[in-house]
Amino acid sequence: MNTIKSIKFLAILAVFIGFTSCDDDDSTPLLDIETQTIANLHAPQSGGQGQPVSGAFAKFSFSAETTTTSDTDWDIAFRGTSIIVNGGVSLGTADEPSRTGDAAAYIANGTMASVTDVDTTLFVQDSDTGYAIATGSGNGWYTYAGPPSHLITPTPGKILVFKTRDGKYAKVEILSYYENAPANPDAFVDATPYFTFNYVYQPNAGEMTFE
Amino acid sequence: MNLNNKYFLIYFLLFFTSVSFAQQTKEIASDSTKVENLDEVIITATRTIRQLSSLPLPAQIISKKDIKQSNSVRLNDILNEQTGLITVPDFGGGEGIQLQGLDSQYTLILVDGVPLVGRSAGTLDISRVTIGNIKQIEVVKGASSSLYGSEALGGVINIITETPKNGFYGNANYRVGSFNTNDISTTLNYKKKKFGVTTFFNRYSSEGYDLDTSDDLKTVDPFSNYTLNAKVTYDFSDKTDLLISGKYYTQNQDYNASTTLKGESELNEWNTHLKLSHTYNEKWSSYFEFYATRYKAKDFLNNEDGSRFSDSYYNQLLIRPEIRATYNPTEKNAFIGGVGFNHETLDRTDFLIKPEFNSPYVYLQYDGKFNEKLNLILGARFDSHSKYKSQFSPKAAVRYEFNERLSIKGSAGYGFKAPDFRQLYFDFSNATVGYTVLGYNAVSTAIPKLEAQGEIANIIVPLSEFENELNTENSISMNLGVDYKLSSEIKLGVNLFRNNIDDLIDTRIIATKTNGQSVFSYYNVNKVYTQGLEFNASWKPINQLKITGGYQLLFAKDKDAEKAFENGEVFARENPSSPSFQLKKEDYFGLYNRSRHMANLKVFYNIPKWNLDTNIRGTYRSEYGLLDSNGNDYLDTYDDLVDGYAIIDFAVNKTFYKNYQLGFGIDNIFDFTDTQNISNIAGRIIYGKLNIQF
Repeated sequence: MNTIKSIKFLAILAVFIGFTSCDDDDSTPLLDIETQTIANLHAPQSGGQGQPVSGAFAKFSFSAETTTTSDTDWDIAFRGTSIIVNGGVSLGTADEPSRTGDAAAYIANGTMASVTDVDTTLFVQDSDTGYAIATGSGNGWYTYAGPPSHLITPTPGKILVFKTRDGKYAKVEILSYYENAPANPDAFVDATPYFTFNYVYQPNAGEMTFE
Repeated sequence: MNLNNKYFLIYFLLFFTSVSFAQQTKEIASDSTKVENLDEVIITATRTIRQLSSLPLPAQIISKKDIKQSNSVRLNDILNEQTGLITVPDFGGGEGIQLQGLDSQYTLILVDGVPLVGRSAGTLDISRVTIGNIKQIEVVKGASSSLYGSEALGGVINIITETPKNGFYGNANYRVGSFNTNDISTTLNYKKKKFGVTTFFNRYSSEGYDLDTSDDLKTVDPFSNYTLNAKVTYDFSDKTDLLISGKYYTQNQDYNASTTLKGESELNEWNTHLKLSHTYNEKWSSYFEFYATRYKAKDFLNNEDGSRFSDSYYNQLLIRPEIRATYNPTEKNAFIGGVGFNHETLDRTDFLIKPEFNSPYVYLQYDGKFNEKLNLILGARFDSHSKYKSQFSPKAAVRYEFNERLSIKGSAGYGFKAPDFRQLYFDFSNATVGYTVLGYNAVSTAIPKLEAQGEIANIIVPLSEFENELNTENSISMNLGVDYKLSSEIKLGVNLFRNNIDDLIDTRIIATKTNGQSVFSYYNVNKVYTQGLEFNASWKPINQLKITGGYQLLFAKDKDAEKAFENGEVFARENPSSPSFQLKKEDYFGLYNRSRHMANLKVFYNIPKWNLDTNIRGTYRSEYGLLDSNGNDYLDTYDDLVDGYAIIDFAVNKTFYKNYQLGFGIDNIFDFTDTQNISNIAGRIIYGKLNIQF
């Protein structure tokens, strides 16, 4: 009920904002918000399981809608199960890119549809004690099933909300860690780490909603 | 039929001369006038003999005849076939009983009124009890702490064993079946005048079985066990008699933890029970009872080179003296009261200390029949405890008989289970995986020790939270039932139940270790409830045929989880790679290992002409969940559930020359197994049986 109420409220708010902005002739029209899907973003890592991890992060830019090799124009980056943001400082693992932007993140409980607005008070940046998106099963975006299946699956109801390097907002739901996002992955057969995720990017500066 | 029933009653009279003499005469007087309505008697519900049919509490009796015809050998075999009861395998290999949707640690298991111990992980493994010398099994549902104290939160199961009867006779039994399972038992009975003795011996062995042949380990390793039981009675006079009973049980089993780690496990249990009963006059009688039992388990694992990998032991002792008295001021009023003392110790590997519990207790119960129709029972018990808050457990039950056909009964009571030794003093670190489990009282000393060794990465729950006592788990249970006799052949019974449990003890992570593993400890968290309906029907269209059926509907839920679903805080996916959606209230499946529906149907058929009896028994349980497979921390309808299943057993027995009986049967005819989820169902079991009376 509460979520329905807040959706209604936000819808009314959006309409209201729409009207007020129409009154203002100088305003530039708002850019469309679209739901995009990225499939099979390959983010390999070396080491792990007790050994030091290394390897280049696979960087992604929301505005470019694709991966990038730029040292500065990226928002988030992937390596193994880790997700970092272009904001804050390095945790100190090998091959971590230096943060040049103002990106941040938090994890909201909900669905892509129900997470409609950004709560800026929740944002945290990467630090030398931990990433903004916490690592480990059950702490961040995934759950590790352990034996016998050993599956890594995205925890349901975890929506990653990001502030981009230049202060815009995006929300992400990870769908799969396995290549081609099989409906029923097999940890012994399907290759990892291949991120498939849905995201919504709010390209308009200062807009705090995804509607 | 009539003869059998009379015999049955006489037996009980002998056994319970100590109990209220006045009440007995009354029971017989009313019963013997209408022999056809003569009814089974139960002692567990009130600690006095009561007709089962007039009892205001939900209870059930499993007769020796049913056990014999079913060819059951262990307690778990026969309990599994009763309405609302199911045995659930424990990861330790034991099988505990689930009753009204409550875990096995909340059902008290008694033998002749005194408890079995040895719940090393909370579960009491009932497969350790042979039923070769059992007279009957009594099951009382609903909290019964007002008479029995701790553990009787969900109910009580009392196994009544044979006592000496007049004459000299005996029997020998042998059953051999699949998996090279052999059960041999013999009983010898002697009684003349004042002195009586009965002895029982049982050997049970099996090669075990292997459900998952893809690994090198067996599901159940080979084992053999022995039970020795002796009972001596001496009647000093009509009014005074003495019972001394001793039991010894030992089991040896292979213990294989992996292809390289092999060893053995050994169990030893003894019980001694002494009861002196005296009847003073028609109104007063008393008993003195002394009970002591010890349960010892030990196991070891050796490395391939023969060197010792691990050793563990468990040694629990319970001593209980009790005095009780019955007072029957009039025929219609009966009081029973008792005073006793529990002394319990445990010596166990991975324990911080050798703990000792002392707990004196007192109880009183009033059983009044106001008129032909109305019966009221009021009772209460007070348990003082050296380590916990004292517990006061009241109970009230009432039955109203509208007419000979229809009666209604209701009861409400308080039940509790004191935290056990493990939940307080465990200090265990897994050698291979590296996690640690700490008892509640062990936390404040063990965590600083681990910290000093540099093993703690993060403390999640501060030590200050362990300053208060761990609360005893407690429950309010309510039962409301209707019994209806449609005719002399058809009997129906419905019982609605609800158990509200508070302060349920669960484990949580209290710290993380530098090796990446966690430190777990116990805490009071959950408020859960189990509620549902039980339905029983029996139909005897002709003397040779008996058909019984039972059904239980169960909702077992965690109240906090229900709230989380109501608040829309729980999400799931259609499959692991599809987007999340919000779950609704009705998507919450409930507690783990609970089936919404359980049912049984049994058909017993006798052919007197051929001295043959045969039966088919079927049990069903609907789907249930064992784990949260979709990562939202709750059991919901989108998790991988264990499919429901039905098991059908068949047995036939034929008697030759009066004293020889041959039996044949197939348990689990359709060879049902679930390799992944159900470790205690071995598959089809074909067996033959020989029984000789002498």
